[in-house]
Amino acid sequence: MVAEPQTIIEARNVDFYYGDFHALKNVSINIAAQEVTAMIGPSGCGKSTFLKLLNRMNDFTPGARLAGEIFISGASIYGPDADPVDIRRRVGMVFQRPNPFAKSIYDNICYGPRLVGIRKPQDLDVLVEKALRAAALWDEVKDILSKSAMELSGGQQQRVCVARALALEPEILLMDEPTSALDPIATAKVEEWIKNANLTIVIVTHNMQQAARISDRTAFFFMGELVEFGPTMELFTRPQETQTENYITGRFG
Amino acid sequence: MTDESHPPAARDRGTLLKPKLSPTEKGARFFFLVCAISALGQMLLIMVFLFTEAGRLFVSLDGEKGVSLGEFFLSQDWYPTYPSPSYGALALVAGSLSVTLLSILLAGPLGVGLAIYLSSMAGRRSREWLKPAIELLASIPSVVLGFVGMVAIAPFLQNALGLPSGLNILNASLFLAVMATPTVASLGEDALSAVPQSVQDASYALGATHWETIWKVILPASLSGLSTAVILGLGRALGETIVVLMVAGGAAQIPLSLFDSARPLTSTLAAEMGETAIGSAHYHALFALGAVLFVLTLAFNLLAHYLGKYWRRKA
Amino acid sequence: MLEAQKGFGRQRRYREQKLAFLAIRLAAGLSLGVMAAIIIYIVVNGVPALSWAFLTEFPRDNMSAGGIFPAIVGTVLLAVGALLTALPLGFGAAIYLAEYARPGPLVTAIRLGVANLAGVPSVVFGLFGLSLFVTTLGFGRSLLSGSLTLGLLILPTVTAAAEEALRQTPASFREAALALGANRWQAIRQVVLPAALPGMLTGAILALGRAAGETAPIVFTASAAYTLLLPDSIYREVMALPTHILNLATNSVHIEATRPQQFGSALVLLVLVLGLSTFAIVVRAKLRRGRQW
Repeated sequence: MVAEPQTIIEARNVDFYYGDFHALKNVSINIAAQEVTAMIGPSGCGKSTFLKLLNRMNDFTPGARLAGEIFISGASIYGPDADPVDIRRRVGMVFQRPNPFAKSIYDNICYGPRLVGIRKPQDLDVLVEKALRAAALWDEVKDILSKSAMELSGGQQQRVCVARALALEPEILLMDEPTSALDPIATAKVEEWIKNANLTIVIVTHNMQQAARISDRTAFFFMGELVEFGPTMELFTRPQETQTENYITGRFG
Repeated sequence: MTDESHPPAARDRGTLLKPKLSPTEKGARFFFLVCAISALGQMLLIMVFLFTEAGRLFVSLDGEKGVSLGEFFLSQDWYPTYPSPSYGALALVAGSLSVTLLSILLAGPLGVGLAIYLSSMAGRRSREWLKPAIELLASIPSVVLGFVGMVAIAPFLQNALGLPSGLNILNASLFLAVMATPTVASLGEDALSAVPQSVQDASYALGATHWETIWKVILPASLSGLSTAVILGLGRALGETIVVLMVAGGAAQIPLSLFDSARPLTSTLAAEMGETAIGSAHYHALFALGAVLFVLTLAFNLLAHYLGKYWRRKA
Repeated sequence: MLEAQKGFGRQRRYREQKLAFLAIRLAAGLSLGVMAAIIIYIVVNGVPALSWAFLTEFPRDNMSAGGIFPAIVGTVLLAVGALLTALPLGFGAAIYLAEYARPGPLVTAIRLGVANLAGVPSVVFGLFGLSLFVTTLGFGRSLLSGSLTLGLLILPTVTAAAEEALRQTPASFREAALALGANRWQAIRQVVLPAALPGMLTGAILALGRAAGETAPIVFTASAAYTLLLPDSIYREVMALPTHILNLATNSVHIEATRPQQFGSALVLLVLVLGLSTFAIVVRAKLRRGRQW
């Protein structure tokens, strides 16, 4: 039997502007906990913009304006009492290109925990191992933790970034085209990790096959609108909207 | 999924998102803002001090009559220490302009030539060590250059040309050119290297020679940057003090030949400021010269800035 | 190819290229050659004057004998003082411009200020220092006044170089730190600054090299022709290499007799300045090559 999944992220009538550019138009969506939700669509469709709204990274974009509401675990994240820094600690993010700091692997992972005041070496050691194991990287790097993360391969760097985000034990992990700068083998490893992760993941991808392989549900964005959202299998096999069908059959984009 | 019952026109434009700043962050940002504003403040402060001290020359003080603006700008008599002193800046301005213009006649072509050589002709390896070498040459202290001008070039000019003295505007401009050439070359090289390779490739593909590509494609495309480079070199020569103090000869007259001695603004300041009583008319007259120098260099800088913009817009 | 234009003017075109390239090579060779000749001239004439005593003793007999120790010490102290003045202000301004500033009239004004400040002649800085530090603030002719004046002189260069270094650290560093719940200041302090600092410092040292060789700004703010002792406080006048050379060559009792001292001092100053600049340029090249982002 299939239980109705529990909603963890809820967006209600979200409009978003960069200056005069209307980037998101009245987007409403419910994202389920413990699932992988993929966001697809042609470049400039608003999928990455939407993703960055979920951990308030758009706050740093000059001229960004937002209407509508977004709730995480029932609390409004743009409400007057919301603390953006706290939200970013609860909602982790992995970026398009691997972006480790020019520090050791160990210090990269510890960055978040140290920010929240965890300083004891024995506590940090535990967290580092846990995060690296969760990112399926522990066995590869356990002997070289003091090496600069910059010296790792691209795939390893990206998993360091995953581990760094996981070290804060986030409720949700946002991934913005996390494999677009990786080779096929590294991509497979990251995808493998996503499928097995026991976490709510929202992933933006320009690669439809990837969305089909790894996600439970898929949302299709086009020109700033959320055109269609549903279980991945259904969306790819029986799209309800012609725009969706055109996109997944490769007629544009 | 779009909600059609909610037409876009009816929706508000939302609220502006801004990063929330904690008190420490606000403090940090305020501190950095103060640092940044201090740069602007410094510029203003320089102007205030320079122009106030200069202005006192032109007003009556202690019963003495102030110098008239007409006398200051139009008279060529600079006799600040005479019993009845006169403060005419014309000969000094002429001295500054003559050595500066002469020097740029040398440094302009040499610097641009060096820039073309670096950007389009030198191999990658020689370029890799030539660029830093030029940067290094730009930091040769001016007192060392002036010293060489005094002890090596001046006697040589005196003997070879049978002059009464080798300290003249020719000698000064030679060494100002040595100072300005690295500036022109390295700024010019930046400008030339900014021309996209694709444009050069297009020229080669149409059968142009290497030189034709440089002359007809690269140079016109980088004219704005090159003119900026030359003018900034000019500004550097105009403001240079010690070289001209040591080798220009120091006579407050309008130079009429290459072998005449001159007393540019900068060397007048350096030579006389140490000897004068703070607060005297002479002291204020020297600040007035400083103000003239400041305005002239500022004008060159702004000219370089706007010329750069003008050419960019035309391109 | 158009039949009529086959080989059009080929001879002439290559001759033109040959001539042009010859002229350019001459210009390049001449300018580099002259500068090299100047350095060689100083080295050849300066080396005979050098000795351990020359570097470590005070001048004697109206400067015609003894060494230049106090001038070396004075130049080093002035340089250190200038760095202490320019680093906090310059780095602070650079952090504001690179990390916080949003385009607007204030930022435009600040940038205009910095750019024009860089073009102000050093002798005008000397006048400013005389008027503000020596007279108005009452510091007198002193190490303090000279250091502050030199510090302000290099401030625009230090600021520009530091801003450049900050801008070269990838935006993704900041993004990653912010996404992990750092606030902006934490992201700058913990991630951006450690990555940019070597570049910021080499830029500052390069500026300092030039300042150490400057004469005009310290002539009326700091330098004495001769001191009996090393300075024991920042309110003392100091000797400095550039002004020492200038005084000996133009103003001293025995201009001809002190020639060896003049050459020796010029060589020491040249080595000091070029050494500092070379150090910074080499470190910078290493940093650029080894940069991992």
